[in-house]
Amino acid sequence: MKKEYINWGLVIGVGLIATVFSITAVLASMSGTITVLSMAVVLLSFAAVGFMLAGYVRQLQAMAHSISVGSQIRLTSEYPADSILNEVWIAAEQFLDGSNQKMKTLQNENQGVTWQLQLLSQQKNSVETVLNSIHDAVIVTDNRDRIILANASAENIFGFKFDRDVFQPAQKMIPSEELVAMISKSRTSRTAQVRHELTMEESGNPVSYDTVLSCVEDGRGGVLQIVTVLHDITREKEVARMKNDFVSHVSHELKTPLASINAYAEMLVDGEAEDIETIQQFCGVIQSQAQRLSRLIEDILNISRIESGLIKVSRETHSLALVIRDAVEMITSYAQEKNITIQSPAPILYDQVNIDRDMISQVVINLLSNAVKYTPAEGRITVDSVLNEAEGQITVTITDTGVGIPAEDVDHVFDKFYRVQANNKYAKGTGLGLNLVKQIVETVHGGSVFVTSTPGQGSTFGFVLPLSKETAAQSVS
Amino acid sequence: MDKRKALVVDDEFHIVQVVSIKLKNNGYEVMTAENGGMAYDLACQNAPDIIITDYQMPVMSGLELIEKLRQNSDTTHIPVIMLTARGFSIEEDQKEKLHIAACLSKPFSPREVLQTIEDVLAQSATV
Repeated sequence: MKKEYINWGLVIGVGLIATVFSITAVLASMSGTITVLSMAVVLLSFAAVGFMLAGYVRQLQAMAHSISVGSQIRLTSEYPADSILNEVWIAAEQFLDGSNQKMKTLQNENQGVTWQLQLLSQQKNSVETVLNSIHDAVIVTDNRDRIILANASAENIFGFKFDRDVFQPAQKMIPSEELVAMISKSRTSRTAQVRHELTMEESGNPVSYDTVLSCVEDGRGGVLQIVTVLHDITREKEVARMKNDFVSHVSHELKTPLASINAYAEMLVDGEAEDIETIQQFCGVIQSQAQRLSRLIEDILNISRIESGLIKVSRETHSLALVIRDAVEMITSYAQEKNITIQSPAPILYDQVNIDRDMISQVVINLLSNAVKYTPAEGRITVDSVLNEAEGQITVTITDTGVGIPAEDVDHVFDKFYRVQANNKYAKGTGLGLNLVKQIVETVHGGSVFVTSTPGQGSTFGFVLPLSKETAAQSVS
Repeated sequence: MDKRKALVVDDEFHIVQVVSIKLKNNGYEVMTAENGGMAYDLACQNAPDIIITDYQMPVMSGLELIEKLRQNSDTTHIPVIMLTARGFSIEEDQKEKLHIAACLSKPFSPREVLQTIEDVLAQSATV
């Protein structure tokens, strides 16, 4: 038996005996001393019981506090194993251990949930950043066609401000009825993905979008969301159109000399040329058309190489006056056939330019040969160059007394394949020579080209090139 | 029998020349023009049996020439063969609308041109 039970038995037993004795003493009218002594024993017994009970209360308070704060306390170590409350302590300790374990599990789970929430928040931010970084417009609508997500591009295109707290109907926010209808139809038809070309007017210009609508299902056969992505294909369409036009032009320009070569060759084979003179004439046509074809292909390739940046440019410092002089010498015999005089510029002291000599030579030759082509016999061509020290550049002009260019054509003469129809009768060309001039001067050398013209009086074609740094410094000093 | 009259229209001198020689060598009387405007005037004045025209020309294109010919009662019946160097052929409905007898793409064969002219004229004679 536990010592504490014996203690309790002794205290309660002594107390009860003293109580009975006291009552008996009072009833039997025993002496006052005996009565007082027995009552004193009774009081001491009650005091002992109270003291022992107070110890239990303190322990229970400590236990309650432990439970309330959730801390782990080892109660049994503070009380002897034969304590009357030891079993209670053990039960309490087990209860606390269980609670502690559950609390630890809950704390771990809580930590996991917090981390997951943080991760989700980061992922959400990441997705929003990605969505707002892309040029394509993205709109997500729910099963009631309300906008639940829209990126910055969508806001810009449709002119609305997405509010994540108030989901607005697509019909109210998107000004394109066609797109709203597409979203609605995509939702009701439950088609996994549909693609449309949507054309809208923006700032007065038509803009085309490749529009993809994807259905997000809710797993129960219903539609949860429609994700709409709009990709601007206006530029792509324009490039495709330009490519188409280019192919059409190239096809036309290549087929024309080829047609002559083919036709004249066939005529020779068929014996349609009756005399040696006609045979020679046919052969001459074949040869000249083959050369035209070759020039055309060369021009197309050169322009293509310059535009794509694939051409090899060998830039060195040269005197522009010498380049012009050589080009004039090359074209003089052609000009003499029409009795056209070419006046060259007086040499400029500081005219060093950092150029690809062959290319700039090609520019001057193209401009001079055009001037000869469109200048009637006995005409005059003047080549001039002007140094602009303040701007650090040199301007070359080639002025003819030719047929001139109608006002409506002037702005287009440097365009690819552009031919001044009114002047077609004076000379044949590929429509690429002036475009090549523009590409070489502007794209390769960072200069500029210009033209002025008066129909019936003549034209001035010119180009501006930056001076080489050494020359600019020299001319300034 | 009178020689059949053909009008050859192209702004490319060599094309006009080669078709003309081929037709002359095969018994045709040939007129030439370098654009649609000149061709229309010649057609009104000389009533050719057939016109062979380029598509793309200055002043007046081949299509504009045909449209103008069809609006004139004196020239509306003249069969026209179109020579084209464009990357894309003329639409079928346009061919039908303007009664273009045949289209030949460049580069063409003079033999093929002659054969087509013969076929078109034979078909016109039976109508």
